Amino acid sequence: MKLTFRDVHVAYPGRETPALIGVNIEIAAGQRVALVGRNGSGKSTLILTANGILRPQQGAVMLDGQPVQYDRRGLAALRRCVGVVFQDPDDQLFTANVYQDLSLGPLNLGLSQAEARQRVLQAAEQCGLSHLLDRPTHSLSGGEKARAAIAGVLAMTPRFLFVDELLHHLDPWVRREVLRLLCDLASAGCAVVLATHDWALVRTWAQHVIWLEAGRIFRQGHPSAVLTGPECPDLEGAPC
Amino acid sequence: MGLQIDAFAYANRLSRLHPAYKAGCSLLALCACLVLDRPLASVIVLVLMLALTTVWAGVPWRAVAKLLFAEGSFLLAGVLGIALTVSPSPTPGSVSVGGMWVGVSAQSLAQAVAVFLRALGSVAALNFLALTTPVPDLLEWLRRLRVPEVLVELMGLIYRFTFVLLDSLGHMTLAHEVRLGFASQRATLRSAALIGANLFIQAFRRSQRLEVALRSRAWNGSLRVLPWQDAPRPQR
Ligand SMILES: Nc1ncnc2c1ncn2[C@@H]1O[C@H](COP(=O)(O)OP(=O)(O)O)[C@@H](O)[C@H]1O
Ligand SMILES: [Mg+2]
Repeated sequence: MKLTFRDVHVAYPGRETPALIGVNIEIAAGQRVALVGRNGSGKSTLILTANGILRPQQGAVMLDGQPVQYDRRGLAALRRCVGVVFQDPDDQLFTANVYQDLSLGPLNLGLSQAEARQRVLQAAEQCGLSHLLDRPTHSLSGGEKARAAIAGVLAMTPRFLFVDELLHHLDPWVRREVLRLLCDLASAGCAVVLATHDWALVRTWAQHVIWLEAGRIFRQGHPSAVLTGPECPDLEGAPC
Repeated sequence: MGLQIDAFAYANRLSRLHPAYKAGCSLLALCACLVLDRPLASVIVLVLMLALTTVWAGVPWRAVAKLLFAEGSFLLAGVLGIALTVSPSPTPGSVSVGGMWVGVSAQSLAQAVAVFLRALGSVAALNFLALTTPVPDLLEWLRRLRVPEVLVELMGLIYRFTFVLLDSLGHMTLAHEVRLGFASQRATLRSAALIGANLFIQAFRRSQRLEVALRSRAWNGSLRVLPWQDAPRPQR
């Protein structure tokens, strides 16, 4: 399966300069992709466009070569395949306890209660949340919330998972857990796209890097080819 | 305090009991207080509900007392108006305040005590429900009672995001505190105003992010979720 952006332009209403300008990318199943760039360079915009929250004014987003249809059915089909985990888990955990939250996506996809329950248990197992399913959401720790947010998307069994700067609040131990989870997902055939500022991670983890600057693709390719030269902030010496 | 109530709701001996029993108990007591309207009945209800909460449900009596005390203080302030009588001419034992005579008569005092006890009994009855029943349980039950879906969803969201907002409030208060925002009365007033305004903006922004997150999960207008009673419960 392939997710393709062809010459995508996205502008926010009331903004002169578009947030994405002529973006061309292609993401294949099972790929580990890193999305890098300064704050405001358009990473989140790209993610929202991939999920159909934002619609390109020009160009097209395509699933397996088919342009996305922006009607109810087309969007449902897109969101079944493309999941997004946002930066702040508190923005995406809606219900009073974990079990119910994980069931939200599957039920939205029109699955029966029995199927939805199956999906919930499976996603919880994947994310190591099985023992927390009956816990009130607000009582979870930061790491548990992050995993719950991922599980809520995994319960929809996406083929492309976009993760927007989720790792930044997490301590190194929890981060490691979450990264391992993302690796497992990629091995299982789900493409994982990680927006991050952690260049060390990008160098070791990613198979493909998409580097945005002011809404345009600055460079993309294998980290060893892309992350070189004076533009890389991590190649300069110590700051003092 | 609010957080404590919530913690007890999940961690008391009755938390797993069907909410209908607890709501039944609570409502029955509430009605008894309101309908009988006798100080004695109110006291009996009060004692009974306190006993149920502490002995049956096993909520520590200190917590129950603290909660009741807080609520009682409000009620006390409320019934003050009933206890005091104001008249243009002096009555026995009254004092003059700005040309009017303010006093307490036996009748008004008795009335104030009756209202206070009645309210306190009712509050104790509701405390029992609040301290023993997890909110998701209550919502699920309301849903089964065919309370309109929108209302139940709204209650669920409010419950969930009360905690998120409290979190933000905590962070903001701290941020003001480290910059001496509460060093004087003036500063406190200003800080409180700034925090209030900020909290409102944050809540608004968050609601926008929430909508995006909901849509990204193929949301189509109603927040349908599985009943939480079906959640597997590990033995802890
Ligand atoms: N909701 C919005 N309305 C208007 N402009 C926005 C909105 N969200 C982002 N932008 C603008 O779009 C550009 C890209 O932002 P974003 O995609 O959030 O960048 P990143 O995630 O890389 O930090 C920025 O200039 C930002 O100010
Ligand atoms: Mg962003």
